[in-house]
Amino acid sequence: MTKFRVISFYTAIFVVLFALMGLFSKGLNFGLDFTGGYLTEFSTNQPVSLQAMNEMITLFIADDFQLSSAENGSYWTVRTPDNSASGNSWLFNFIEAQKILAGDIDKALIVTPQDAVYIGSQVGEELINQGGLALLTALVIILLYLSFRFEWRLAIGAVAALFHDVIIVLGIFAWLGLSFDLTILASILAIIGYSLNDSIIVGDRIREIMKTNKENNIDTIINSAIKTTLVRTLITSGTTLATIVAIWFFAGDSLHGFAVSLFSGILVGTFSSIAISATLPKLVGLRADYYQQKALEQEALCQLP
Amino acid sequence: MNFPKKAPRRIVKWQHLVLLLTLILMVISALPNFYGDKATLNITNKLEAPKHLTEQLIPELSPQTIKQLLHEQNIQVSSVKSSADGFSIVLAKQEHLAKAKQVLIDTLPDDKVVEGAIKNDSPSWLKQLGGQPIKLGLDLSGGVLFVLDVDIERAISDKVADIALDIKSLAREQRIRALKVKQVSATSIKVDFSSTNSKSTKALFKQVLSTYPELIQQKLSAQQVSFTFTEQATTTFRQQTMAQTLKTMRGRIEELGITEAVTQKQGKNRIRIELPGVHDPEEAKRIIGATASLDFYQLAKHNNSINVKHIRNEYGQLLSLNNKVIFSGSNIKNAQAGRDEMGSPLVNLRLDALGGKKMSDFSKRNIGAPMITVFSEYYRDANNELMKKSKVISEATIQGHLSSVFSITNMKSTAAAQELALLLRAGSLAAPVTIVKQRTIAATLGDDNIDNGVKALVIGVSITLIFMALWYRALGMIANVALACNLLSLLGLMSLLPGAVLTLPGIAGLVLTVGMAVDTNVLIFERIKEEIKKGLSPLLAIERGYKNASATIFDANITTMITGIILYSIGYGPVKGFALILCLGILTSMFTGILISKAITNVVINRNDTILLGAK
Repeated sequence: MTKFRVISFYTAIFVVLFALMGLFSKGLNFGLDFTGGYLTEFSTNQPVSLQAMNEMITLFIADDFQLSSAENGSYWTVRTPDNSASGNSWLFNFIEAQKILAGDIDKALIVTPQDAVYIGSQVGEELINQGGLALLTALVIILLYLSFRFEWRLAIGAVAALFHDVIIVLGIFAWLGLSFDLTILASILAIIGYSLNDSIIVGDRIREIMKTNKENNIDTIINSAIKTTLVRTLITSGTTLATIVAIWFFAGDSLHGFAVSLFSGILVGTFSSIAISATLPKLVGLRADYYQQKALEQEALCQLP
Repeated sequence: MNFPKKAPRRIVKWQHLVLLLTLILMVISALPNFYGDKATLNITNKLEAPKHLTEQLIPELSPQTIKQLLHEQNIQVSSVKSSADGFSIVLAKQEHLAKAKQVLIDTLPDDKVVEGAIKNDSPSWLKQLGGQPIKLGLDLSGGVLFVLDVDIERAISDKVADIALDIKSLAREQRIRALKVKQVSATSIKVDFSSTNSKSTKALFKQVLSTYPELIQQKLSAQQVSFTFTEQATTTFRQQTMAQTLKTMRGRIEELGITEAVTQKQGKNRIRIELPGVHDPEEAKRIIGATASLDFYQLAKHNNSINVKHIRNEYGQLLSLNNKVIFSGSNIKNAQAGRDEMGSPLVNLRLDALGGKKMSDFSKRNIGAPMITVFSEYYRDANNELMKKSKVISEATIQGHLSSVFSITNMKSTAAAQELALLLRAGSLAAPVTIVKQRTIAATLGDDNIDNGVKALVIGVSITLIFMALWYRALGMIANVALACNLLSLLGLMSLLPGAVLTLPGIAGLVLTVGMAVDTNVLIFERIKEEIKKGLSPLLAIERGYKNASATIFDANITTMITGIILYSIGYGPVKGFALILCLGILTSMFTGILISKAITNVVINRNDTILLGAK
């Protein structure tokens, strides 16, 4: 068990490095929410359903795009990325194609371009700075709270596991080139919550065993803490993963990235709660008799006067 | 939930009552979400319509004829009711609302008024309790689109006019008489010093250039110079103005708590705002108060000097204001309505560093003088000309040397204080803004997408519920009841928050939060199993299990809560919405997972039966 944990720990470090490599070499493929892009508006002479229009223009736009409608499906807005390969010419092609169709069918669609303009990002620049600062604050507060409730070494373990999970998920998005939008950012938030939850439950059990047991081997304590919480970890991860898999397979494209992010996040979160948050504290010097020592110290303090 | 009349001895009954009441409250708040929206059209007679005309027409118009009229246009109608005032039509599909309205307006005689609205379909008693469904995001139900035009040219021109005024007052301070200062174009000022001595003008021009480094000085003739905004300064000013306006708009929407709005820069000088959950552009316009700006002025000492603008206050009294603003709304960081020690309403203001300095300089010299707050709104008239409408919203007296934190006292009522605070908070815009386009937009996700999403979530939750029931038997069923309560409470809490907006990812997050809430019960139940393995009787094990697991659950949830709160306070869009769901989910899962499930366990399991618990 201990051996397994140590191997896992080093594997985790390796995977994090690999993820970082992806992040630095390929970078995240930021979605339209972050980058802004082109906004093209056109109108049609007859109402078209959102799905039908989506299918029609997919043929003309090479990249990701966002489609929305107004006026009962006769006014359309398309957002495409700034660096889009199809650029702004797709609408022209689309209109031409419709014109050719019009020769054959009487009820062909007449598409009239309305507006094409550059559009900025949804996220303000000030938010990125603020966001970084706030995340740092959050980390410090979590560290302080955990250090206050637990041993500081256990707190370090939980925070390291948190970094591990988030970096790996970001790495997956970088390596696979999946579009990273605001929804994915939100899912990272859920992963943070989940990761902390997992680490704390293991940490809590370690603390409890350290307090009550006379066991002197820290490895034995950690292993037994993992064993007693393993069923819980598997059940919670399992049911959550089942929900995510259902979203992945049935919910369609709109939640695809969201499901990928959460699935990988919870998988690595479960792994890191054992490989990192339970293993790291010992490496930075957690000792089995910490709480006994502390109790003794307090006794000594009380007896002083 | 029926509690047995004679509860076991160790249960304190009032606690159960409190739990039950809380739960009922949550369920009632969640209820409107289960009723769909319906599109209704009302046909009424115009008030001023001559009586004989309407009497003539009524026989032609009946529920049947209206139904038939709409059916001919392929619009499905679920019901038509006639009443003394007119007719009320409920459409089968919301998206037909606009079309149906048009059809009715076109075919009905002119003396009929047709109004359409999308309303929640909940029964009237629920509406009277103030029940509101959660607003749906742009992806699920669309909303309203605005395109705002930011008139940067006007802003530059205004700024240059301000500088011209400043040059005049600087000249006066330095006792240079008969200096002619004139704004000749949007970006340049001509200064003619032909009738004044030129020695001190040099010093003056130096001062002007040091105060406004963005200007360049050019010699036009021996007696004339011009100050012009540099090309670069104009570009920077443009960018800054756009960034500032965008920030203010985002701030206003944030102020309303709407989490899933989209605010983007469109083209060079436009801003595109998409507001979810609102279907009436007029209402949305009122919400964002898009085009308002605020300025704070000093009363002019000399009524007839050139640097004076005249404005009437609400009593029609003519006020003469010093043309130069003390500070403007863009310097306001925060404004809150409050009360002083005597209990009279006031507005507490906090300015940014620049505003604080301006206020400090001003108030030091003007204790006892009045300060006038002017609220201006820009609009385009019939000829598409930009017009400005200003009104005085507050007249306050400077009571002492003030700095960045001060209060506006002397408010007439608490309501007035609150309204002023809202206006002040809404901030000021650096440039005039007008609405150039407004339009209702449809959901960005198609019906089939939404159906699939919901189906996926139902499957996900079902798997969890079935697993819990099989694995933990009776306790699992209790956990499932707790989970259902959790989902309802979460919906209820979110319905109570006016700004909460639910998107498809938001719903997924909600389900996930509930899925994670299983954790609370799993932790407790595993603990109970452990205690049973140690040889404790099931009842004692249950007691111990709940007690021991609570500390762990508390620690785990508090940390997640910290993250959630911080991300909510800085987050934007989906991140903010998600953080909100996360935080509320933690609250409800602690409530239902620990308190409710404990209460049910106590009531249901009162035998020492191991099999019930699924423990081996």
